[in-house]
Amino acid sequence: MLKDIRVSCSPHISERLSTRSVMIDVIIGLGPAMAAAGYYFRIHALILICTCVISSAATEWFCNLIRKKPSSLDDFSAVVTGIILALSLPPMLPVWTAVVGSVFAVAIGKMVFGGLGANIFNPAMVGRTFLTASFGVLMTSWTVPATIDGSMPAIAQENIVNAKTQATPLAWSKLAIKNKLGADIYSEEQFKATFTGEVGGSLGETSVIALLMGGLYLLIRRTINFHIPLAVLASAFVFATIAYLIDSYAYVQPFFHLCSGGLLLCAFFIATDPVTSPLTRRGMWIFGIGVGTITMLIRIVGEYPEGVMFSILLMNAVTPLIDRLCKRIPMGGKPSVQ
Amino acid sequence: MKYVGAKGRFTFPGGTHPPEKKDLTRDKEIQRGPAVTEVAVMLSQHIGAVCQPLIRKSDAVQAGQKIGDCDAFVSAPVHSPITGKVTEIALRSHPVLGRSLAIVIGAFPYSPTKWSSFTLKDDFDENNYSAGQICEAVREAGIVGMGGAGFPTRVKIEPNPQLPKETLIINGCECEPYITCDYRIMLELTDKIIAGVKLARRASGCSRTIIGIEDNKPEAIEAMNRALKKFGDSDGIKVVPVKTKYPQGGERQLIKAILKKNVPTGGIPPMIGVVVLNVATVAAIAEAVISGFPLTHRVVTVTGEAIARPGNYNVPIGMSVENLIEFCGGVTQKSAKVVLGGPMMGIAIADLKTPIMKTTNAITVLTKEQIGRAKFARRQTACIRCGRCLRVCPENLNPTKIAHAVKYNLLDVAERYYMSACIECGCCSYVCPANIEVTGYIKTGKIFLARQKKKVPG
Repeated sequence: MLKDIRVSCSPHISERLSTRSVMIDVIIGLGPAMAAAGYYFRIHALILICTCVISSAATEWFCNLIRKKPSSLDDFSAVVTGIILALSLPPMLPVWTAVVGSVFAVAIGKMVFGGLGANIFNPAMVGRTFLTASFGVLMTSWTVPATIDGSMPAIAQENIVNAKTQATPLAWSKLAIKNKLGADIYSEEQFKATFTGEVGGSLGETSVIALLMGGLYLLIRRTINFHIPLAVLASAFVFATIAYLIDSYAYVQPFFHLCSGGLLLCAFFIATDPVTSPLTRRGMWIFGIGVGTITMLIRIVGEYPEGVMFSILLMNAVTPLIDRLCKRIPMGGKPSVQ
Repeated sequence: MKYVGAKGRFTFPGGTHPPEKKDLTRDKEIQRGPAVTEVAVMLSQHIGAVCQPLIRKSDAVQAGQKIGDCDAFVSAPVHSPITGKVTEIALRSHPVLGRSLAIVIGAFPYSPTKWSSFTLKDDFDENNYSAGQICEAVREAGIVGMGGAGFPTRVKIEPNPQLPKETLIINGCECEPYITCDYRIMLELTDKIIAGVKLARRASGCSRTIIGIEDNKPEAIEAMNRALKKFGDSDGIKVVPVKTKYPQGGERQLIKAILKKNVPTGGIPPMIGVVVLNVATVAAIAEAVISGFPLTHRVVTVTGEAIARPGNYNVPIGMSVENLIEFCGGVTQKSAKVVLGGPMMGIAIADLKTPIMKTTNAITVLTKEQIGRAKFARRQTACIRCGRCLRVCPENLNPTKIAHAVKYNLLDVAERYYMSACIECGCCSYVCPANIEVTGYIKTGKIFLARQKKKVPG
């Protein structure tokens, strides 16, 4: 009866995991954030997310064509890059800018290095940094969420009377540092608003609850390890607390920092990108602490109100070094018998 | 009677949980294998020097007669399982060595196999035998590690003044999916195991004895405890249930779980005063010392969804895989994978005339559907550096780094990341989402490195 005997190397069974299933898990984790973006910024969210995903996929397809390699679109990594890039863009960004950003992100951030697994820097962050450097004005024009005012007017920087038409929480905390305002003035109201997401900001970073839900999903599914998110948030918290204790007039309270801006998006979705973060647990801690500290450094001491993209890129650059320094020793110790 | 709880609390870091699939043969009692017309006893069945044949073509041999031996210290003789005539000394397929010499014996008609009928008397006292006697009997019977490694047992249990042995661990874990031969031996040959444990303890001079069994075998744990109670446990043999996880049955992992000690990388357990023996080996020791039977038969689990009649069979060593599969009703599908051993560490063979050896504990036949879902057949992507292989590695290595170093022929980098410490358990390949054959690369790397260092020809 047996006609065809197969042979291969052991093991002969395996878990039902694939690169695509890992990426799909991340997409599901980003689901609540995308839903919140759609709720607060309406059609613009949909336009931006679709634009970024389609341009990322098209760029990857085209790059594979040039490289004469088989199409790698079915591992869904271009989709994830597109979604994360879209969620870090301001809601009213013109479509052409988003396309340019996506093309740069995938082509220079990933394909030039050799495709998935070979890139050093997080492609989405490469795209965003490029856009911030090249189209600074477009990238810092924020709007009021549609639930507050359906026409979504641009956010005024100086108006302090009406909290709802205030600048994004981080821009406003930057003003406080430069001593134009006191940090304690109605920070509470803004702080509460960040939980649901009724604040200005980029598409994906406004709603804390949505991001936490997604992050929890990823942790439960074991798609990400808890080390990096914990390290990022804990080190950011420590740094912000130190600043707050030094001068509580100029610096906002630490939980405000944790809940505003892209820190949660970064901690759960961007810093945990497996390709660009260290392999070992100890390395993950070092990476996370670096990201959190540098982000806070830029937010508090630096010129930009948001520091996530730079801190990620800086720590990505150091990741191969971290991997080398944190080498694992086998259970039986280093071999003494050669 | 010391019994450390029903749920295994002891474990080691890393490891995975492949589906157990032991229900296929769990409740099948050990049956006698078929009568054979021909056996091919391999001369190289163990770690150590190869045996030289002691007989020539056309010689008549008796069942239990020694037919191959060697003078080297690390070696073990081989015996004929049947009465018959030597037809030839020829090459047969060996799962690891490719092709290797075997003594082919054709059975005389009407010569029934002499099965041992062994009952342990209540007044059994291992002190009736001296340590030297036990070691000599173990050597003459050709006993090697029957858990799969095949290390000559006499060398393992003999007392060595430079490396004194304090703890004897009996390995009843059987962590691989599908395999149940050790489990059935623990249920049915319990007395033999207890006798063998006591003899091994006497020979090696160990002061502490522990029997480690995974907690998915509660009946076996109970059976062993009952037998220990019956034979008086004042000497303190402990049965310790350990957490069910693959590869708990690896000796380094078992020592880590029970004693919380690490065997040095590149070293052996006697370096920390421990000896680990498989339950089947221990039963064979009892057989050899008490009734003088050499190792000529062993229990093999024939299993897998593609086998018509799976079960546990006591078969003569040297019987071909083909004969045994036929006896079990044959393979029910047109294409399958025949694995000697379990699905995680077993070796897939192409030549079904491969003879069963002392270290063959199972024949697992995997269906086409299972083959399709496994590593080899699914699409591979580049390594996404997710780190899952690092999480599950029981030896705390960096499997992806080693595998990619081998892939790009950087064997010195692979060595620097401790490639030689890999136990080839297969956990890394099992969990890889990018479908990379991580274990395969590491195994290949080890062979390339050995060739480079001129240790093996090639």
